[in-house]
Amino acid sequence: MSTPALLALLVVVGILTFLYRYAMIGFFARHELPGWLHALCRHIAPASFAALTASALFVHGGDVQFAFDTPRPWAALAAVIVAWRTRNVLATIAAGMATLYLLKFLIF
Amino acid sequence: MAGKATSAGGEFLAGCRDEAPLLLGVIPFGMIYGIAALAAGVPAWIAQLASAVVFAGAAQLVIVQMLAAGAGALPIALTSGLLNLRHVLYSASMAEYVRHLPRRWRLLLAYLLTDEAYAVAVLRYQRHAADTAQPDDGADLRHWYFFGAGFTLWAGWQLSTAAGLLFGATIPAEWELDFAVPLTFIALLTLLLRERAGRAAALVAGLGALAFADLPYKLGLVAAILLGLLAGVWTGHRLERVERRSAV
Repeated sequence: MSTPALLALLVVVGILTFLYRYAMIGFFARHELPGWLHALCRHIAPASFAALTASALFVHGGDVQFAFDTPRPWAALAAVIVAWRTRNVLATIAAGMATLYLLKFLIF
Repeated sequence: MAGKATSAGGEFLAGCRDEAPLLLGVIPFGMIYGIAALAAGVPAWIAQLASAVVFAGAAQLVIVQMLAAGAGALPIALTSGLLNLRHVLYSASMAEYVRHLPRRWRLLLAYLLTDEAYAVAVLRYQRHAADTAQPDDGADLRHWYFFGAGFTLWAGWQLSTAAGLLFGATIPAEWELDFAVPLTFIALLTLLLRERAGRAAALVAGLGALAFADLPYKLGLVAAILLGLLAGVWTGHRLERVERRSAV
């Protein structure tokens, strides 16, 4: 992406984010948030992170590839296990990176 | 947590102090963002500018991840726009506490309304009325506390971005530090999967991302997230109905 396009993209996302944050304390300060929007907002983060994780791990240039002969899927699996057991973000990242390096060094 | 602060400056400093521990979790994110931005080919000054203009860690990581995968501007804007929609919830939750303030205060506090600043500031507002740090004239100064918390997080985010950019320029690509971004998503996702409707949303969105992988410009991600949202809302409705029936 060209630099001007990237700048324009960031400004658009920045303005949008600010409008979200200002919406209910500025524009609609005397209104309640509609119930359907409330229900929708609760699921945004899990849906987004799941789609991004699946895409980052298994989509390469528009193709789905389960590349189990490379270290990344296995390092991700180790991260999932540590995330599940510890519920600690830093421990999860550390476990994933450590597994990646170990596998690269030992096997792949 | 803050004791009794009876001046604007005291409230501000109390907000700074209570926000500070959260920086431990935020600084690595900022550094990962800076390193991943360089790896994705984003010029350092634009990456730093984004931390001030967008000022939303998860969305910035998403933007960098999608740029690295060759996504187009529209899917990136839609995905990060959807992800950031949760800030409307924080805004709604804060409304009753700040709606009396002058507009310039509300503009400032809206800009600083991140996940971490919200978490700290809302606790200050929810604490019992007897502890509301009101001086004898009855003026409510808690917005200074919110400002202190928000400002501390803002400064931490800008500085950790800069550190990541400085540090990232010296790290060889073989270290694969860009992999820290999907690992971060895994960690956040695990924390978020507490209820069944959220799990349904995540499952459908994850499968959707694979099913729509061949759509151009990564538009498949947007489709997958929207389908996941529908699945989450639908599952929530179903569960509610089942609960109501079993209660009768």
